[in-house]
Amino acid sequence: MLEFRQLKKSYGGRTVVDINNLTIRTGETIGLVGNNGAGKTTMFRMLLDLIRPDSGEVLSKDQNVATNDHWKDYTASYLDEGFLIDYLTPEEYFTFIGGLHNLSVADVGDYLKQYEEFFNGEILSRGKYIRDFSKGNQNKVGIAAALMQKPELLVLDEPFANLDPTTQIRLKSLIKSLKASHRLTTLISSHDLNHVTDVCDRIILLEKGLIIKDFHTDENTLKELEAYFSE
Amino acid sequence: MLSTFLSHQWKDFWRSRNKAGSIAANLLLGFFMLYFLAIAVGVGFWMTMIIEKTFPGQNVITVFNGFILYYFLFDLAIRTQMQELPTLSIVPYLHLKIKRKTIVNFLNIKSLFSFFNLLPLFVFIPFSIMKIGTTYGALTALMYVLSILSLVVFNNYLVLYLKRKSINNFSYFISIIGVVTVLAALDYYHIISVRDFSNLIFVNVTKYPFLGLIFTLAAVGIFIINSNYLRANLYTEELSTKDDKKTSTDYPFLNRFGKVGELAALELKLILRHKRSRGSVLMGFAFLAYGLIFYKGPMIEKNEFGKLLFAALFMTGIAILTYGQFMFAWQSTHFDGLLVNKIDFKDFIKAKFLLFTISSTIITVLASFYGFMSYKLLLLHAAAYLYNIGFATVIVLYFATMNYKRLDITKSASFNWQGIGATQWILGLPFILIPVFIYMPFGIMNKPFWGLAAIALFGLITLLMRNFWINLLVKKFEKQRYKIAEGFRE
Repeated sequence: MLEFRQLKKSYGGRTVVDINNLTIRTGETIGLVGNNGAGKTTMFRMLLDLIRPDSGEVLSKDQNVATNDHWKDYTASYLDEGFLIDYLTPEEYFTFIGGLHNLSVADVGDYLKQYEEFFNGEILSRGKYIRDFSKGNQNKVGIAAALMQKPELLVLDEPFANLDPTTQIRLKSLIKSLKASHRLTTLISSHDLNHVTDVCDRIILLEKGLIIKDFHTDENTLKELEAYFSE
Repeated sequence: MLSTFLSHQWKDFWRSRNKAGSIAANLLLGFFMLYFLAIAVGVGFWMTMIIEKTFPGQNVITVFNGFILYYFLFDLAIRTQMQELPTLSIVPYLHLKIKRKTIVNFLNIKSLFSFFNLLPLFVFIPFSIMKIGTTYGALTALMYVLSILSLVVFNNYLVLYLKRKSINNFSYFISIIGVVTVLAALDYYHIISVRDFSNLIFVNVTKYPFLGLIFTLAAVGIFIINSNYLRANLYTEELSTKDDKKTSTDYPFLNRFGKVGELAALELKLILRHKRSRGSVLMGFAFLAYGLIFYKGPMIEKNEFGKLLFAALFMTGIAILTYGQFMFAWQSTHFDGLLVNKIDFKDFIKAKFLLFTISSTIITVLASFYGFMSYKLLLLHAAAYLYNIGFATVIVLYFATMNYKRLDITKSASFNWQGIGATQWILGLPFILIPVFIYMPFGIMNKPFWGLAAIALFGLITLLMRNFWINLLVKKFEKQRYKIAEGFRE
């Protein structure tokens, strides 16, 4: 599904991302962990063609993401509030995003019905623009809009941060069920080791842009990670 | 404590992110202010002479008296639009061990540092001392000065109070402007005279000098009301936004343009839902009056279109220029979102063209009332319009691909220099020079109508080449988008 090749990016002489070779297969759920400055977000930004790598490339379905747009057809992402059009109401935003994928207003309405539970009555018909919502609720809008695009590849940057516990649990089960039903490939970065080990089947540990560890999760993973980070 | 606040403000200014830009902009702003101050000083000192020249045969003091309240009425209208509320800067202090009273005092004092408070002092005080003082004596002159000072303070806090009570309320702003306009009109047609009223009051001040204390009382009153309101409502959410229910809207008119229309509708919402962009739009309508200043009968008579061209270009293209100069930066907060989504950059650029064309068309249609002055102006506007939608749009969008400055669109537009960089300054040059160069040879050969035709033809050709421009701009945009996105992330 994804291939990172000799991907390098540095700012002011400091290497932020340096990934030699990394392959991600369809249906995998990848957890990206690492302290601040490890290069998680920069890596995501290069994957989404928002930052030009100094060298190397990211291939999505064997096509370089920087040279064509096909990846946009099956990739959905939410990194931060910069992805939201914050002067719209959530309904308008969903309609707009849906329209980009040729969903009618009615389609979007149907889709949103499934998420009533996820939204917990906080999002729809509240008479507010997105910018007036709390950060957690903005997150919900962003994640729901990403899922609405029926992606094959989902990229989320710290999705659990700012979410309430109920929604965290719902999000985890959502990702798991989409993986089972649609073979969804997911990339998640998180500081919450519990969630990551719970939902992901493969963990990639970054430090200063380098991949330090790359392994499949088992019952000992959480302990290993905790040991690593408490050093 | 107050001095600490002020020193923080000072640091805030000098350490702000786009320091170089803001200093340059502030220097320029400083020059403007000095210019206005110089005018004010001039008006102040030569008031007697100016009044004698403009209103020959009338009593100088009567005219002056009539002018005072009139001035402050307009002052009020301008302040409602331009004066900023000093609020957000207090957020980091609210939870600390600082008395509310201190914070309120800080806000009150900070608001006095305003250009609007300085200007009237220069205009009115010299005359009050020189003319009133010599005619009626020192006490009367003192009361005049006190009255003027009180009126300044009164207006200052009245506007702040009204603004705090109804922040972001567009209709409130319109209604104040409306009231002022109506009063001015009534005065003009001698129905209810603001000037007579003002004169009446100040004549009485000359008779009973202590009457001037009424203004002082009013000023103290509004100051206390404002302070009390602030002290009781020192919550940032109440100070910064008044929430009314927001509804989803749809523009069926734009739907016929498909994906491009959707993007245009998105941008239309952006324009209508932010303070700064709304200000730009209002400015566009205000510029409709431009012709009243620049279109002179004799010039039209002699077909000197070269001299009229400037005004015509600005009027019909103002929306393109004021909105286009910050192009892409309007969307800086969600630029990443636009890039990762399935949006064809071609549609993205086309949507901009569509919006430009619609806005320019509306303005040009509105400007056709100049046709009552002369049919020639309609031809002039038509040529300028074609140039604007044909080529000015291309210039603006081309420059937009070199603009990497994040724009804060939640602040008001007037005297706001945030997000201004080199592109905005250079942009105007090709915009105005190209049509002037096209016209010039015809102007020299004394074939003015051919000159207009040439501009129109140029506009038409560039308009027909639009697909070519779109491809060119998309290519440029593709190349620049990483840099733009990075700049917008700050």
